[in-house]
Amino acid sequence: MPAIVIAAAVASAFFLGYRFYSSYLARKVYALDPAFVTPAHSMEDGVDYVPTNKHVLFGHHFTSVAGAAPIVGPAIGVFWGWGPALAWVVIGTIFAAGVHDFGSLVVSVRHRAQNIGSLASTVINRRSRTLFLVLIFFLLTLVNAVFAVVIGNLFVANPAAVLPILLEIPLAIFIGQYIYRTKSSALLPSIVGVLLLYATIPLGQQFPIEVTGIADALGVDQVRNVWVVLLFVYTFFAARIPVWVLLQPRDYINSHQLFIALGVIFAGLAVGMNTLVAPAVNDVPEGSPSFFPFLFITIACGAISGFHSLVSSGTTSKQLDKETDARYVGYMGAVGEGSLAVGAILACTAGVVASRADWDALYPDFSTASGGAVGNFVNGVASFANNIGIPFDWAVIFAAIVVISFAATTMDTGVRLQRYVIQEIGVITGIKPLARNLTLATTIAVVGPLAMALLPGGGEAGYTFGVLWQLFGTTNQLTAGLALAVIAVWVTQQGRNPLAVLVPLVFLLAMTTWALVLNLRNFIQQEQWVLAPLDLVIFVIALWLIVEAALALRKAFAARRDGSVDDVTPDGATEDSSAVHDANVARDVGPDSAERRT
Amino acid sequence: MAHQVVLVRPWDQQMSGSGCCGRLGGLGNELGNEEDFAPQRCDMESMGVVYRALREALSPDVEMTVVDPRNTAWLVPFLLRKGWARGLRGRTLLREVGRGTSTTAVVVDGRTVAWGQLPGSGIIVDLVLAELYGPNCSKGL
Repeated sequence: MPAIVIAAAVASAFFLGYRFYSSYLARKVYALDPAFVTPAHSMEDGVDYVPTNKHVLFGHHFTSVAGAAPIVGPAIGVFWGWGPALAWVVIGTIFAAGVHDFGSLVVSVRHRAQNIGSLASTVINRRSRTLFLVLIFFLLTLVNAVFAVVIGNLFVANPAAVLPILLEIPLAIFIGQYIYRTKSSALLPSIVGVLLLYATIPLGQQFPIEVTGIADALGVDQVRNVWVVLLFVYTFFAARIPVWVLLQPRDYINSHQLFIALGVIFAGLAVGMNTLVAPAVNDVPEGSPSFFPFLFITIACGAISGFHSLVSSGTTSKQLDKETDARYVGYMGAVGEGSLAVGAILACTAGVVASRADWDALYPDFSTASGGAVGNFVNGVASFANNIGIPFDWAVIFAAIVVISFAATTMDTGVRLQRYVIQEIGVITGIKPLARNLTLATTIAVVGPLAMALLPGGGEAGYTFGVLWQLFGTTNQLTAGLALAVIAVWVTQQGRNPLAVLVPLVFLLAMTTWALVLNLRNFIQQEQWVLAPLDLVIFVIALWLIVEAALALRKAFAARRDGSVDDVTPDGATEDSSAVHDANVARDVGPDSAERRT
Repeated sequence: MAHQVVLVRPWDQQMSGSGCCGRLGGLGNELGNEEDFAPQRCDMESMGVVYRALREALSPDVEMTVVDPRNTAWLVPFLLRKGWARGLRGRTLLREVGRGTSTTAVVVDGRTVAWGQLPGSGIIVDLVLAELYGPNCSKGL
């Protein structure tokens, strides 16, 4: 079957989902009110709170959420065949991610644009804030470990990509300095930066950089592990330099790369008319993880991602002009990410090889499939690029550069964020050195994921990557579960039917706990004494979340039966908690901003 | 047709294409630390003064929008469309797009009236009013 037919069918499904299901959510579940005064108006200051055109806001939102994660999960998930992977991405996007992203935005808007951590504390209870922090800690540890392995694998497979990626660092610093000092247009220098980056591909092909010699000298079996260590050394320093020096200028380059990659995938697909060579449902070998429940934690971003709730509630909610715009911005943000995931599925099932036998060789077992997944995506995108006239050898490095750029930025950011989380945990627990010592916090932020990336599975790429990715997916789904619990409680408090939120919540919690139990059994049987305790801790967190969600929902239903529904005042504050909100706003933004707003 | 004023300035957040898990925010954001984006915060505060001055000076039917220069998916097509409608072509059009995508810029009905190191809010208000209602207009109401 031509892949373009699948792409068209998915586009139709997403259109119907937006047209009908998001409309149902807007009317019956979230009861959007066009007259509701959003925080962008009630607290309008032209700085943080600014009513913004919905198309502009969607541009902000989508660029903030789309990236590497919806590539990796689907690239592994097609191991069970393109059918289950595609079905989960489409159904997940329409009935779970759309509900989650849209709902997070609405609940935040209805609570003076509070972020999801504060919302969990306000809507559920104070313990939920700690639960949120713990979840984020594990999520970041795993995402940093996974992306280090992704980059390490790609560097080993594509040594010609190393030089362009290294040159991207001084290039981004130069662009940053230029923009920062001249305040001139960022567009032209960043476009030149992207072109220069791609122009260095022949240079990279001429001078491929490999670390096999270092690995041999150190007696390291897996060459990838040398890259993993080097990457964490780099992030240790990168996480400590000001954001505007490297991270932000790379934003400009990456944002161009995102749209270039999307354009190449879908243009190549349309021109080349590649056909799906992978089976719709793969007859996986005995002993492989079953797609129930593992598919649903392997593909997190692209079907549903808990981190979106942080984006929706952090910044987007402060700019929402009309409450009714939340449907377009929130739901379509999920659809945009789902489209990226569909592109990844098609690259790994229609682009990467030309025959079923070749595909079977790439996905013979779960370990090989996981270890080679990102490489398969890279080769698939290269094949699509080749359809539109780009030489294949060049296109492979181009695709590798895009994925590595995104993954490296994720690592830079993830280590920095983890440092903050560790410092905050230091404050909460009263461990002063943890809270105050930057080097100590950064070291812990680096050592944890480094150990995860190196220790389990004895350095075997496929096993390590597959297992770590599943644990990452689990924590991401649990974060989504926390956000869905907040939304479900709020919808119940408003006297409306929360079923549309409860179904994805229960499904996610069931899949994650099921997978955690199965994995725990496997880890103990295989004597994996790093992964087993980690799995157990995440399992305890999952149980904690289930208990908190159940208690909060029971309380909300009881309050509804008693008639003490939490009404919302016209300015967006809940009547019974406006003092709490005021305190949160003042705490979150500091005294200067609070004064300015008054 | 309603007039439109676009204020271009960065948000204190990352918009990197590196995904939702690779994202930092600034003040009052769960993802990050307010010091991360201190220079961008200055631009936000400065443009906030301009925003409030324009809100006072302009009639409510003038649409005001604040855009991040990294939001190229919206900003570049907008500037190209508006410039084309004004008859700009070739290098002139590209120059106009370049100005409008500066780190800080003020765009009135598709024409960039200030960019780069911006003057004080009073001067910007005068520039915007002059662009909207002609050089002799002191108040747009």
